[in-house]
Amino acid sequence: MTLHRALPIPTLRTARLTLRVPGPRDVTAMARFYASARSSFVGGPKDPEGAWRQLATEIGHWTLRGYGRWMVDLADTAQTCGIVGLWNPEGWPEPEIGWDLFDGFEGHGYATEAALATRDYAYGTLGWSTVISLVNPQNTASARVCARMGAVREGQVSRPHLGTLDVYRHPAPGGA
Amino acid sequence: MSIPTLETARLILRAPAPRDYPGFEATFTSYRARFMGGPLSEYESWMLYAAEIGHWKIHGFGMWVIADRTSGESCGMAGGWFPKGWPEREIAWMIWPGAEGRGIALEATHAARAWLYDRMGWDTAVTYLDPKNIRSVQLAERLGARPDPDAPTVDSHDIVYRHPGPAALRGSQLADGIAMENSTAKALFGTGGRID
Repeated sequence: MTLHRALPIPTLRTARLTLRVPGPRDVTAMARFYASARSSFVGGPKDPEGAWRQLATEIGHWTLRGYGRWMVDLADTAQTCGIVGLWNPEGWPEPEIGWDLFDGFEGHGYATEAALATRDYAYGTLGWSTVISLVNPQNTASARVCARMGAVREGQVSRPHLGTLDVYRHPAPGGA
Repeated sequence: MSIPTLETARLILRAPAPRDYPGFEATFTSYRARFMGGPLSEYESWMLYAAEIGHWKIHGFGMWVIADRTSGESCGMAGGWFPKGWPEREIAWMIWPGAEGRGIALEATHAARAWLYDRMGWDTAVTYLDPKNIRSVQLAERLGARPDPDAPTVDSHDIVYRHPGPAALRGSQLADGIAMENSTAKALFGTGGRID
C-alpha cells in the first residue's frame, strides 16, 4: 500500500486571527452558519446535510485548485468566527476572495483582517496579479469590507444558485 | 490525511485528483447520473467532486478513483460514502460513460469493501439503490448483498442492499467466485488498453 501525499494547507496568522485548515471539527459551526439568515447571500440557507457537503467541498477545493478557504479562529479564544479565502469553483468568472462571517462575530473587522491576509497570500505566495470578490448587491456589510480593502466595483455577473453579484476588483499587488 | 492506494489485478484505486475530474463531470452531467441525484450542472458536479475529496478528510475514508493499472486512465469511482443525512455507511460505485461492461465495478468495489472492513473495522455496510438501476442491482447481488427491508432508506425511493459482513465474506465461496470472475475478466479484457 502506498500513500498519497496530502496537500499541505498553510496556517496564516494575523494580529487577532488564526487561519487554519478546515476539518471534521467544523461540521457544527458550518451547520449553524448555513441554518442562519447570514448565509442567504452565499447560497444558503442549507440544511445540515447541505452544510456538511459544503464543508467537504471547501476541503476538496484545496486539492483541486491548490488553494482554497481557511477556517478563521480568534487567536485568543480559539472560537471559529468564519471562513475566508480563495474560491474558484467550476464556472467562476475568475478566482475571488470570499468571506463568510458567522453569527455573533460581526462588527469587529475580522472579515477584513482575514481577507487581507488571504490577499497577501494570493499575491505573495501564489504570485497572482489580480483578484476579485463577488458580493450580493444587498450585502452591504460585505460591500463595506470591499471598500476597506480598496476593492472597486466594476460590474456584475450572474451565477446559478446565487443570482446577480457585484464584481469588485482588488488593487493589484503593490498598489494595495 | 493520506488517501491509501489499493491495487487489484487490473486496477489501481487511488486518491481523486484534478486530472480525473472530466470523467466525473461526464458522468454527473449526463443521464447516467439519474440514479445518483443527477443530472447536475457543471458547477454542481464540480462542487460534488470536491466534496468527494473532502469526505476523506472528514471521515478518514471515502471514494477512490478507479484507474486502469496499465494506462493510468481513470474509469470510475468506488469506496465508502457517508455524508451527513445517510442512515448508515454505504459502499458505492460509479463507472464513467464508455467504461462499462468489463467487470471494473465488481473488481474495484470488492477491493474497496475489503479495505473498509479490514482497515476501518466496519462490521456491516449497505448500498442504496434505485430499483430501476438494474445494472447496479445486479452488481450488488454479485457482491453478495441482499435487500434489507428493515433498514432505513435515504429517500424512500431506494432499496437498501446489505453486504455480507467481514466474517461471512472471509474464505467464502462468494469471495472465491468474485476472484474467479475478476481473473476471467482479466483474461478477456487484459490489463491495458484505452478506456473510452
